[in-house]
Amino acid sequence: MSELNDDEIRALAKSVDLDIPDSDITDVNYSLNAMLQAIDDITSEGISVIEPLPIIIQKED
Amino acid sequence: MSNQELVFLSAANLASEIKNKQISPVEAVEAYLDRINHVDPKLNAYITVLADKALEAAHQSESDITSGVNKGSLHGVPVAVKDQIYTKGIRTSSASKIRSGFVPDFDATVVNGLKRSGAIILGKLNMTEFAMGDPITSAFGVTHNPWDLDRNPGTSSTGSGAATASFMCASSLGEDTGGSIRGPAANCGLVGIRPTWGRVSRYGVDGASWSLDTIGPISRTVKDCALTLGAIAGFDQNDPYTRNIPVPDYAACLTGDVKGLKIGLVKEFLDTEVMGVTQAVRQGVMDAAELLASLGAEVEETSLPLAPVSGVASRIISAVERSSLHPEWLRDKPDDFHHNTRVAFSVGELIPSQVYYKAQKLRTLVRKQTLKALEKFDVLAMPVASEPATIMNLKPGIESKEAAVNALTEGSYRGLFSMVSGPAMSICCGFSTEGNNKLPLALQIAGRPYDESTLMNVAYAYEQNTTWHLERPPL
Repeated sequence: MSELNDDEIRALAKSVDLDIPDSDITDVNYSLNAMLQAIDDITSEGISVIEPLPIIIQKED
Repeated sequence: MSNQELVFLSAANLASEIKNKQISPVEAVEAYLDRINHVDPKLNAYITVLADKALEAAHQSESDITSGVNKGSLHGVPVAVKDQIYTKGIRTSSASKIRSGFVPDFDATVVNGLKRSGAIILGKLNMTEFAMGDPITSAFGVTHNPWDLDRNPGTSSTGSGAATASFMCASSLGEDTGGSIRGPAANCGLVGIRPTWGRVSRYGVDGASWSLDTIGPISRTVKDCALTLGAIAGFDQNDPYTRNIPVPDYAACLTGDVKGLKIGLVKEFLDTEVMGVTQAVRQGVMDAAELLASLGAEVEETSLPLAPVSGVASRIISAVERSSLHPEWLRDKPDDFHHNTRVAFSVGELIPSQVYYKAQKLRTLVRKQTLKALEKFDVLAMPVASEPATIMNLKPGIESKEAAVNALTEGSYRGLFSMVSGPAMSICCGFSTEGNNKLPLALQIAGRPYDESTLMNVAYAYEQNTTWHLERPPL
């Protein structure tokens, strides 16, 4: 996933009716791109085929 | 015993003294109120102190004792709760301007549990705004670490850590989404447990992330932690995710016997190159493992290859879930947020669905890998963080994208067990020296779902053979 620039982030926000003020855009950029890059870099074995499981854990009796 | 000395008793010992009529609940509450008046101006751990209500409850508690009635294991013991936990008729702000006028008309299930066990609620504790991970965001001002006022007390249950460590309550409740119980416990030299997700009701608690939030104790000793958890654990029909299974007598499970217990040391978290763990933290954890081995535990290194990426996934999941709770606030009241909280909520709204889905898939892989390791080991051991409490940066904003990436990696220490949904706890395992101040180091012990007893017993065995829990911050 390529890094999003400020204009792209503003456009993305606009699509969900959210305004990102000038005071916030740099920090939103840093934080959002950090997350997108970090998750994109993860290529663990099985990630493409596994499905999310329910959270609830059954107690082993 | 003087008021000044009374507050230094453990919650368990205070309960015992009250039960034996050596100390009255009124004396206990007055002692803690004196301590709060003296110490809290330096720490800002409380948002609301309930002096009158606590004294009223203390008189009732004393009357009960006189009549031969003992409500439970915390009868007459003054405790405090994080300000996202509902208290009937008392402001519950989540440390935000937006919720600063919110007064619930019922008590959270965990507050009812504390009251049923006889505890007295002293007040509502400061935290980070909406339980975000940044220590400077509270609308009620920054909370300081009692070991070094310039340092982070641990987020997001900042007040729970600071108040308990500075003897402004006998025990406290925090809420842990990605480490908000274990972090403050670690930074403040305390014992804190994130119970299994589903062990403790979340009913009447302002949510941060529905699939990760847990409520648990932050205490000064393992036994205090066990008593506090015992008061709040159990099935609640108001929280459909709690499970209807028996709650053990946690305090009775503290035998200190760890002979033959299998402990896996998670090597990725002890690798300075992979996770940047400092030498002081690494040594503290290794020394703790050695001590447990000397007590008869079988300690062996183990590998969880996905552990270092668990922070990324847990942060993405919590960011999306948190921002989805009240999207109208960001649109209608953006200026009522702290800058850092507003940025975090905005980011949560902009994460694409396929990224959230990938994070959930990663969660499943991480959980399977970790639970597989727990088939071989009774508990896993690792640090709570790469370093002791850091100096707080009081300037709003994010330094750089690299800093944001590093924060995601650091989040793996605690995010791993948030993702697994099993129990994990923090206990002090020594001190490092930074300048003139000693800073607590912390060992994390994690285990099988619903097996909080084994975790706490390992911690108890360690505590009974060390003296770290007897240290007091320089206030």
